[in-house]
Amino acid sequence: MELNLADIAFWLLSAISIAGAATAVFTRDVMRLTLGLGVFLLSVAGWFLYFGHAFVAIAQVFVYVGGVLVLILFAIMFLHRSEQGLPELTSRHALDSAVVAVGVAVLVITSLREYVTGQLPTVGGADAEIGVSLLGAYLPHFEAAGVLLLAALVAAVVIVGGEKR
Amino acid sequence: MSGFVGGLVWGLAGGMLIALATVFGVWWERKVAGRIHMRIGPQTTGPAGLLQVPADTLKMILKEDITPAQVDVRVFRLAPHIVFVPVAMSLTVIPFASGFAPLNTSIGMLFFLAVPSLSVIGMLLAGWSSRNTYATIGGLRAAAQMISYELPRTLSVLSVVVLAGSMRPLEVMEAWRPWWILANAIGFLVYFISSIAEVNSIPFDLPQAESELVAGYFADYSGIRWGIFMMTEYGAVVAASLFGAAVFLGGWRWLPGAFGVVLFIALTLLLITAIIFVKWTFPRMRSDQLMTTAWKILTPMALVQLVIVGVIVPWM
Repeated sequence: MELNLADIAFWLLSAISIAGAATAVFTRDVMRLTLGLGVFLLSVAGWFLYFGHAFVAIAQVFVYVGGVLVLILFAIMFLHRSEQGLPELTSRHALDSAVVAVGVAVLVITSLREYVTGQLPTVGGADAEIGVSLLGAYLPHFEAAGVLLLAALVAAVVIVGGEKR
Repeated sequence: MSGFVGGLVWGLAGGMLIALATVFGVWWERKVAGRIHMRIGPQTTGPAGLLQVPADTLKMILKEDITPAQVDVRVFRLAPHIVFVPVAMSLTVIPFASGFAPLNTSIGMLFFLAVPSLSVIGMLLAGWSSRNTYATIGGLRAAAQMISYELPRTLSVLSVVVLAGSMRPLEVMEAWRPWWILANAIGFLVYFISSIAEVNSIPFDLPQAESELVAGYFADYSGIRWGIFMMTEYGAVVAASLFGAAVFLGGWRWLPGAFGVVLFIALTLLLITAIIFVKWTFPRMRSDQLMTTAWKILTPMALVQLVIVGVIVPWM
């Protein structure tokens, strides 16, 4: 089999995604775990690029790596380093966790079942089309999501700073 | 394969550009700061003190790279690279001349805003792995500051994108008109101030705060790893100035051909000098002033700018 750059990129991305995800699950040190998560999130951006969706890729970097991951790290920095060493990987809630994990797996597989057979999602589409569909056909959904996020933001402010001094 | 080799060449070129920018940047900054202090600045080593910084650089490279005993060694060694690489990557989308940007991508404007902000992850890791109170506080401040100032900065660039109707930097430059400077005046001010905050320069140097946190998140670094942090800082100043000079001030659009590129470089130097002027003129902000500036002043200003542009665009 002849290897071209796209194939190399595919295998490299797969390896990085799996390594990042595995690190995020199997590491006991919370900082390295988050680093693994960061590698995984970046590799997801790589997948979007691989399938030709540059805008979604950069949005992934902007929101998840530059925003969410930094907030997680920010929260971890406030943690007190435990004197008793690192926490155990096993959980008391093994059964509940298993139920949730199976449920999520079923959800993902059923929603992606068209593509499980080996057919890849449609590639391409100009970035401008995302804007057109977001502010066209999907405008109500877009607005609803915006209102929901605004409500969450206001709620957070009320919870944090609601007390009158 | 040629794309891969090309990327490698551009990567090396970008690295060299940042290294050179740091060497000249430090010299220029010391000269400007000297004038502000009514001194001359470096003058003994070489003509006009030009060899002072290369000598300092040599010293820095030869210096022992100390890894303190209590640090998380692997994360400690990795952190400077995570800080440096995103800033170097951001240089690739800058439209250096008509029809030429090393990475000509349809999402270039967003790329320039999104990618350099990743270096804050490295700052947090540096602060965490140093296991040192100063470094931890520095890392925390860096994260809070970067996340806050990303918003007005992105909004200010958004008004240019709306005017140009494109996120490809080269298309923005082609669409650029001299009256945009007036139409985007508020946006440019917001971009300039929030860029100073993004590069952690005074008055927004709370993450480093020499006089209270020693050097903040990189307090425990020495030798070449310290040098990488320093280079990143100058690289970020250069990148922010290049981008601002291009999309807000028009860069090479004013003059044809090579003259335009020279003017673009001159505008960039002007912005760098302006940042140095601000740095040596204003005292450091308090952290509450920092947040107030970002959320209550700059963000509304950027929104007003967006409304102005929104009114103009239908009449274009």
